[in-house]
Amino acid sequence: MIEVVLNDWLGKKVKVKCNEDDTIGNLKKLVAAQTGTRADKIRIQKWYNTYKDHITLKDYEIHDGMGLELYYN
Amino acid sequence: MANRTDPAAKSIRGTNPQNLVEKILRSKIYQHTYWKEQCFGLTAETLVDKAMELDHLGGTHGGNRKPTPFMCLVMKMLQIQPDKDIVVEFIKNEDYKYVRALGAFYLRLTGTDIDVYRYLEPLYNDYRKLRRKLADGKYTLTHVDEVIDELLTQDYSCDIALPRVKKRWTLENIGSLEPRKSALEDDFEEEEEKDEEDQLVAELEDEGHEKDYYRGRSPARERDRDRKRDSHRYRDRDYERDYDRDRGRGRDRDRDRDRDRDRERDRDRDRHRLREDKEYGRDREWEGRERDRRDRDRGRRRSPSRSRSRSRDRKDRDEERRKRHARSSASPRRRGDRPEDASTRDEPKKKKEKKEKKDDGTDHPDPEIAAANKLRASLGMKPLK
Repeated sequence: MIEVVLNDWLGKKVKVKCNEDDTIGNLKKLVAAQTGTRADKIRIQKWYNTYKDHITLKDYEIHDGMGLELYYN
Repeated sequence: MANRTDPAAKSIRGTNPQNLVEKILRSKIYQHTYWKEQCFGLTAETLVDKAMELDHLGGTHGGNRKPTPFMCLVMKMLQIQPDKDIVVEFIKNEDYKYVRALGAFYLRLTGTDIDVYRYLEPLYNDYRKLRRKLADGKYTLTHVDEVIDELLTQDYSCDIALPRVKKRWTLENIGSLEPRKSALEDDFEEEEEKDEEDQLVAELEDEGHEKDYYRGRSPARERDRDRKRDSHRYRDRDYERDYDRDRGRGRDRDRDRDRDRDRERDRDRDRHRLREDKEYGRDREWEGRERDRRDRDRGRRRSPSRSRSRSRDRKDRDEERRKRHARSSASPRRRGDRPEDASTRDEPKKKKEKKEKKDDGTDHPDPEIAAANKLRASLGMKPLK
């Protein structure tokens, strides 16, 4: 179980607990549940690399405590 | 400026009509080539031409979320605000299904609650296929009535948050709308009658006893009662649920009918015993002769009333009668079985529940993790490790 921090640089900072083998799509659902936006409106990036929905956190090498950028579609 | 709303246009729900579409999606539409090239200087007439060229529905798609031409035309309609007559014409036209879908969508966004129900519900009878573009760029098949159902029951469609409309039963209660009459209602009634007739014929061959009870009830009374009950049925706007419920009820009714058939046989025998007491055997012989003949004649006419009485009523009547008359029997086989069944049914259920809890991890000692697991379970994900 890892904890990921998502920041949208506009005041919304969200910490989400998830498994390493969760996909980005699942992570978006968890974030949506916490922030209240819809899951399909969320975009997770790391410096111009938009993360795709079907790839797992482990494959993107996202570790515990790592920060990701939260944008909206 | 091409993107400014017509200053003479009314404000929808207290704001600029274009604000019905969210800011991000709006900017995406303004930057799209379809908007810039095709939608410049469109009027209501030329918009119809563009609408006839549509070949798919959809919201946004792709990694950078490009809007579909459908979206751009919806935006254009919001910008120019055509009259209600024109929108209704869009909906009423039979030839072009995408024009219809466009009109329906616009009306859902901008129309009053009553208009929405009045003009969109007839479209439930349209079964034509539509092409819909999904978020990943692929096309999928849908139908006009599915789209209308989505517009009327969901609050999000094609990447636009649909404004809230009042529930149908609220409007019925205040009298602005009639209870919904489905086009399939007649079909259902016919099916029910047919099923009941077959049932009746089968039962008559078995028993040869008359069911006095149903003679006592006037079919008019039954029908009134059931019409009121039916209005409850159609109050629920979720029609899929309705169909499932009807079908489910039909299935339940079949099951219950089989169960009740045995009970009725016993019940009728008991009632005959009672009737003997009451009528001192006066009419018995006469009825015995007439019964079968009348039954067979009456079978057809009586089926409308019979079809309306639901298994629930029969069960209630059963229990009532059993309470009043100690002699009445449920068949001994049933009575013996039922308590046993209940206990055996409970046990596997309990075991299953316990197992599920452990799998979910919702009973984790740490409350935060338990809460997180609960959320994950509701989203359909496995628990945290």
